[in-house]
Amino acid sequence: MLLTLDLNDPRPLHEQVAAAIRRAIGAGDVAPGDRLPPARDLAHALGVNANTVLRSLRDLRDEGLLEFRRGRGVSVLRRPDGREALRTRARDLLDEAARYGLTTDDVVALIKDVIKDLGEDPGDDSGKEMA
Amino acid sequence: MTDPHDRSVTGFRTRFLLAVSAWAVLVAAVLVAVPLAFADRLPDPLATHWGPSGRPDGSMPFAAFVLVLVVLWVVVAGVGAGVGARARTLVRRTPRAWYCAGLAWAGGLMVVTQAFTIAANLDRGDWTRAAGMSWQVVVIVAAPIALGALGRLAGLRGPDVPPAPPRTRPRIDLDPGKRPVWVSTTTAPWAAWLAIVALAAAVALAGTALSGLFPGGWRAVVPLAVVGVVGTVLSSVSVRVVPEALTVSVGPLRWPSRRVRLDRVERAWVEERYPAQVGGWGYRGLPGRATIMIRGGECLVVRYTSGGRLAISVDDAEAGAALLNALIARQRPSVER
Repeated sequence: MLLTLDLNDPRPLHEQVAAAIRRAIGAGDVAPGDRLPPARDLAHALGVNANTVLRSLRDLRDEGLLEFRRGRGVSVLRRPDGREALRTRARDLLDEAARYGLTTDDVVALIKDVIKDLGEDPGDDSGKEMA
Repeated sequence: MTDPHDRSVTGFRTRFLLAVSAWAVLVAAVLVAVPLAFADRLPDPLATHWGPSGRPDGSMPFAAFVLVLVVLWVVVAGVGAGVGARARTLVRRTPRAWYCAGLAWAGGLMVVTQAFTIAANLDRGDWTRAAGMSWQVVVIVAAPIALGALGRLAGLRGPDVPPAPPRTRPRIDLDPGKRPVWVSTTTAPWAAWLAIVALAAAVALAGTALSGLFPGGWRAVVPLAVVGVVGTVLSSVSVRVVPEALTVSVGPLRWPSRRVRLDRVERAWVEERYPAQVGGWGYRGLPGRATIMIRGGECLVVRYTSGGRLAISVDDAEAGAALLNALIARQRPSVER
């Protein structure tokens, strides 16, 4: 399983690990029914404590994304739905914006700009897709 | 795999199982019919073992002689057919041909052994007066091998599915603010169970030997313990790729473990490898050209700058190879790939 930790993420480590696993599930790197590698292997690769990984796995189980089964380890139960996936990506977007020195309001304004651009293009391919 | 392809495989599996069953029933019928046909001309017990001198030195009751061979054959044919009919084995020519060869050889060996045993005992009043074995040994060795070769030829017929096309390359985020890692673990539950059974047997035997109940037990303790330990170590493999190094570790304790700095890795790719190609399960081949074979299929292959290479059977190897290559390219931009 391919995981990417964001080194500039100010959130607690277990939330970062959970976000990385959520991203991997959302991107389809691991599909429902697939087993995750053991927590200690994940911990060793990510360079964090195994208890931190276990805490993230429990959080993801409480979200309903993972399933713990005795003797069979941890497996993916379902993919995050659109809203959860977008929330993770919105969070990434805000983090990236902060790195460029943009505030949350700047990002909101930017999104509104993009919506205006899309709205001013009726009859275009993108317009048909939206309909 | 596409749908029409699956249908042709299903049809082939039916024909394959029919042919294997026909062979199994034929051999079983011979193993039962031949001794029964000669039952009134055979001594009971009859000679079933011959010493190096060619004289009979062991006997078995008639019923046991018939039953042992039939039961042994049913087990061998059942396991052989079951393993051979698995989708992965069935559609690939090399392993299928070897399974067919094995089944033909085993059936031939049993029929020929039984035939010569009966011939030697025929019309002798007592097993100790059974005829000797001399040239018959050559036939008992050679005839099953010839049958096995025929079986292998039969197994070569049929489809040979090329390995599945590589999946789309995963996107690798090599942003300096990101730390990409790849983790993959493969386990073979049957190896773990084999190891547990062997270790339990070793402990039980050592216990009975210590208590003086079965002093001869010591001889089996060491081989069983070795099987147990080796089985445990080779029941799982874990591969980790981090921006600094590649780590391969085996066994539930993740030991032994090998860590290779990425500047010593030249390139990584994915290959389909099967136990039939590399010579079985476990650590196969010599260091420098080795395969760590836990299960057949997708393997991550790594070539070192020293020229050696290592293949490890792990899932999701495509992503691991892509990350390794991306990290190597970032570390050594001059190397053209």
